[in-house]
Amino acid sequence: MSAITDSMNTIHSLEEMAEAKTIIHRLHPMVKLVTTMLYLVLVISFNPYDVTGLIVFLFYPVILMALAEIPYKPLLKRLLIALPFSFFAGISNIYFNQNIAFMLGNIPITFGVISFFSIMIKTVYTVMGVLILIATTPLPQISYQLLVIKVPKIIVEQIMLTYRYISVLLEQVSNMYTAYILRAPDAKGIKMKDMGIFVGQLLLKSFDRAENIYFAMKCRGYDGNYLYAKPDPMKKSDWIFMLSTCAMLILLRFFNLSQFIGSFL
Amino acid sequence: MHMADALLSPAVGGIMLAASAGAIAYSAYKCKDDLDEKKIPLMGVMGAVIFAGQMINFTIPGTGSSGHIGGGILLAALLGPFPAFLVISTVLLIQALFFADGGLLALGANIWNMGFYACLLVYPLIFKPIVKKGFTPRRIAVASILSVTIALLGGAFSVVLETLASGITELPFATFLGLMMPIHLAIGIIEGIVTTGVLVFVYKMRPEILESSLINKKIASGLSLKKVSVMLLIFAALLGGGFSLLASSNPDGLEWAMKGVAGTTQIIATGGVHDNAAEVQKTTAILPDYGFKSTDGQGSAAGTSVAGLMGAGLTLLLAGGTGYIIYAVKRKKEKSA
Repeated sequence: MSAITDSMNTIHSLEEMAEAKTIIHRLHPMVKLVTTMLYLVLVISFNPYDVTGLIVFLFYPVILMALAEIPYKPLLKRLLIALPFSFFAGISNIYFNQNIAFMLGNIPITFGVISFFSIMIKTVYTVMGVLILIATTPLPQISYQLLVIKVPKIIVEQIMLTYRYISVLLEQVSNMYTAYILRAPDAKGIKMKDMGIFVGQLLLKSFDRAENIYFAMKCRGYDGNYLYAKPDPMKKSDWIFMLSTCAMLILLRFFNLSQFIGSFL
Repeated sequence: MHMADALLSPAVGGIMLAASAGAIAYSAYKCKDDLDEKKIPLMGVMGAVIFAGQMINFTIPGTGSSGHIGGGILLAALLGPFPAFLVISTVLLIQALFFADGGLLALGANIWNMGFYACLLVYPLIFKPIVKKGFTPRRIAVASILSVTIALLGGAFSVVLETLASGITELPFATFLGLMMPIHLAIGIIEGIVTTGVLVFVYKMRPEILESSLINKKIASGLSLKKVSVMLLIFAALLGGGFSLLASSNPDGLEWAMKGVAGTTQIIATGGVHDNAAEVQKTTAILPDYGFKSTDGQGSAAGTSVAGLMGAGLTLLLAGGTGYIIYAVKRKKEKSA
């Protein structure tokens, strides 16, 4: 089933990307987590009608993607999938707010249009921010940072285990689905009346699988504590990067670079 | 129903992150209590199952469209409410990170909308009581369909509230509600039917799975805190939402006193610091004057309601909680006497 293989490929390719060794990849994971969160907060803190100030925030994803040598095509594909919902939310803004903000030559630009662009740009920036984080930081490292900020151990364990077993389960579901479709030639999906048995079988097999996993873990010394690879401590370069990036982002938030540049024209 | 970062304001995102973090911390604490070690790999696998399960599209007869399961109630019925909530949170986090399915700042809101209502509210209050007397296909059906639908409607309603409180979309409250609720009612019924099918099958094959998660309830502390919280929430919603609309526009006590003294209900301060502070407040206030920011400077009734809702809810929970707990404890004592 194409959605399943797509998901498997996405996770694998992001996993591979995160194992690269560029300068960004070598940064301490906490730095990337902090700067990403700050970036997200600052981007969405713009009010719906301040687009000029917002635009400048393109620097962050562009520079990071270049430095980290992240292939832009798969990222853009992910982005495109995330856009439609924001698109419709934005379109409704155009419909509901038709007060004119200013004229561009002969074309009236309404507040609705401005807020539409604001929403679209914010969506692009926030999605890119998160994708860049996951493309430069392996999930085990992010999970360890969650532990550091005192997220309960049990949920961090869940994140790691779920992540580990997603590809296994996806493959199992794919097999079951193929088996079903081969026996139901014209069906476009599982018939609703068969979902009970389909998912039920999946669940029962998974319960047994989980039990085997538990025994395997016990045999390897599991005592209730999942083991993590602790990353190296933060270096001076990590601190410099984090502080200067955060300072720049905050500065950009409150100083409208677009208008500054535009005032020279 | 996954919300994107772009549709939230930092304040709303932050509040929901805090709320979900609290719920997660509480669930983690409860899991430590009544969970045995074996359930931990099970929860991890279930997370992967739900993740993979959401990729299965089933065809809905008669509509030509397809759907996929959400899984909150299903998980709660299989694992118990607290493990289920943690599993859903995990799945949502992974979806947000790897698939941009919901933003990171919106993660708190998404966990709340899609996990909290189903696992921590609807399951214990609606699903469990119905099946407590025994698992029969009919009881499972009623419990599932009712629970899934109510949980989805609660989540959809929260989406509307969170979006409006963020002030990013101009969609009027009534229109948004009118779009979201019927769709999620339909989705809820469909998913409820599928959940029924799954649970009936699991019960037929391995009844001990469903029965053991039912027994895994916390030791009664003499008071159902959940019942109390739900009552408070409903009360606050009614108070904040409904009654704030009737709020008088006459000056309140303080303003009336000021009018007498200074001749005006507001002191206009001028000077550098005040101007800067006012600027900051203008940009950061999400609900200035208890209404939504609007371009024509007039407040909207919906804005007052939501602001009233939020403010009232918080205040009431803090203040009223004490009184209600005392009352409820007294009543419980009388009942058992």
